[in-house]
Amino acid sequence: MTQTSDIDRVAMIVLRYMRRPLFALLLVYSVGIVGMALMPGQVVDGETTYMNLFHAFYFFTYTATTTGFGELPDGFSNEQRLWTIFCLYTGVIAWFYALGSLIGLVQNPHFTQAMDRFRFARKVEGNVEPFIILCGFGDTGSLLARGLSDHQKRAVILDSDPERIKALGVRDYSVSMPGLCADASAPRHLLAAGVEHPACLALAALTNDDDVNLKIAVMARHLNPRLRVICRSTSARHEANLRALENVTVVDPFEIFAQLVYWAIARPELHNLNAWFVGARGVKLGVPVKVPRGDWILCGYGRMGHWIQRCLLAHGVGVRIIDPGVDSSVAGDGTVIVQAHADHASLVTAGIDDAAGVVAATDRDSDNLSTLLSVMALNPDTFRIVRQNSHENQVAFDAARADLVLQHSLTTARRILKLLVSPLIQELIEWLEEREPAQTEALVARLQGVVGTESPHLWSVRLVADEAPAVVDYLDAGGGVALGALCRDARAFPEGLPCEVLAVRRAGQSIMLPEKTFPLDVGDELLFCSMHRVEPLLQATFHNLYTLRYVLTGVDESRGYLFAWLEERLRRRRAGHKPNGRRP
Amino acid sequence: MNFERVVFGFFIILTLSLNVAFVAGGGDRAEHHNVWILTLAIIVNLVAIGLKLGDRSQTGALLLASGLVACFLLITARIVWIVVEPADVGRPGPEGMADIVSIATGALIANIVATVILVGDTLLSRR
Repeated sequence: MTQTSDIDRVAMIVLRYMRRPLFALLLVYSVGIVGMALMPGQVVDGETTYMNLFHAFYFFTYTATTTGFGELPDGFSNEQRLWTIFCLYTGVIAWFYALGSLIGLVQNPHFTQAMDRFRFARKVEGNVEPFIILCGFGDTGSLLARGLSDHQKRAVILDSDPERIKALGVRDYSVSMPGLCADASAPRHLLAAGVEHPACLALAALTNDDDVNLKIAVMARHLNPRLRVICRSTSARHEANLRALENVTVVDPFEIFAQLVYWAIARPELHNLNAWFVGARGVKLGVPVKVPRGDWILCGYGRMGHWIQRCLLAHGVGVRIIDPGVDSSVAGDGTVIVQAHADHASLVTAGIDDAAGVVAATDRDSDNLSTLLSVMALNPDTFRIVRQNSHENQVAFDAARADLVLQHSLTTARRILKLLVSPLIQELIEWLEEREPAQTEALVARLQGVVGTESPHLWSVRLVADEAPAVVDYLDAGGGVALGALCRDARAFPEGLPCEVLAVRRAGQSIMLPEKTFPLDVGDELLFCSMHRVEPLLQATFHNLYTLRYVLTGVDESRGYLFAWLEERLRRRRAGHKPNGRRP
Repeated sequence: MNFERVVFGFFIILTLSLNVAFVAGGGDRAEHHNVWILTLAIIVNLVAIGLKLGDRSQTGALLLASGLVACFLLITARIVWIVVEPADVGRPGPEGMADIVSIATGALIANIVATVILVGDTLLSRR
């Protein structure tokens, strides 16, 4: 539907632009060729010869295109030579005119736009691999695209800013990521991006404008009700709207950020595990940040500040607020409030000397960095958490030596990536959050035993015919597969491979940290945590029936009919003999 | 150690060895090639195919395919031998012999492939 309209548009623009030059060429060619055929040629045997039409066309073709081919069908008479001069000038002029129009057409912005759209739609339609539509290619969008590319997942990108699409063109992704400069909230562009495509897994609306995100989510819901939509939203009004829709996940960057700040302050072991799972830089498993207890100073009380305060107060952490625009009535009772910018004086007023830490969370990087400098000068022992707004300021934040830098575009991108690539991890983290810290510490100890100091590799496998044919066959044949037996090492039976199953998802329900004896069933989804080199070994078990039987039973069964038959006979004979042998 | 693997490996490698034994020598000289070795190679090859029937793994399928190719070519070579063999002299002429040896060389490639798969699979499984 959209494709034909794009083709129509391209064809229409070409016709409109090329009509006149094509007519000019046609006229010049016909006059030249007919004239050439009518010109009397050399006289042979008393008779005047004429050039035939084919020869005239041949001659005109190489003259008009200024090829200047030397071959003449016959020698020319003077009349023919005169006509040749006429042909040459008119032909060359007509050709230059046509070529000039063609170049003008290629540079025509409407034409290039229509061509881009057409090419983009064709690329998306021809794609058979599963893909995700990203609307908005800002900081979050580009980080998410990078993460998807690291997981070998394809994405289709829409952004209304041509500069961002140009930036996309110079990225070196490991998979193809077609991009189009277009307004993503227009349904026509969503269709071109493949909202109705059967291989489309999800759509993520990540523009900086909440209204646009809402529009995209609503349009996508109407165009394809079964499509999963992930929508970035920072406004409470929109969120209520969006959460009412089915298949829509709302991701609030401020909420995620506040949650991470809370984890870092109150649940350092969980923060450490989460950071290790998502592969944050410089994070070692089992080495959580050491955060002092006490009241915290919160610099900046905007939308993010509200979330952080709500989160910390809910978990019994005292908060003192520094913000020039804060209204003392909104923050609640017993909260110290300083109405000023977070400089030396206001930090002293807020009691920096006995504060456990400072969260610099304004939406301006320069303010946050200068607050850090003041805190360093006043009380270098306080714990410093800083919000980084722009990806470009990375180097300055690295140099600022804060204890924890949180960049909300990065945290949002990681959260969405988790939702898309391995939703079970997020569920596991939330499950652990509701339980005692000791449970998290026990898991960390187990993972340390399995993975050691290496960076983790997380992947999930569904026990379906495509992903684990051998297991499905075995289960269908009535065999039982326990989780621990499945993870045995075929090279060193009966030892286990160094891997940990973090969760099993069965029929919409998740079983966290299952036991080794957990019986598996067809359709289960397993989340593994291990090293890269272990995955192929487990894949071999999942795909090869003989390897699977070996790791489950420890017996290397016969493969061919002949040996299977022999073995069966041998077994029967033994079974038949034994009772006989025991008889007196 | 798996007894089935010993037997199967024996037949696969024996086929390869017999095939080389038949092909080795001057290409068109009938006295360099023994028809008994060719016949024996066909029989051993058929046994190897029989042993592989019923294996449902991917490598099993590939081994079966290469065995079938080798068998097909060896039998073709044996039929050509029968056709070109003159009734009185007892040995095929140089032209017929060249055909037979080149077909048997084709079978040799299939047998090499089968052996490589067998060895590779055993090494990769690392048990």
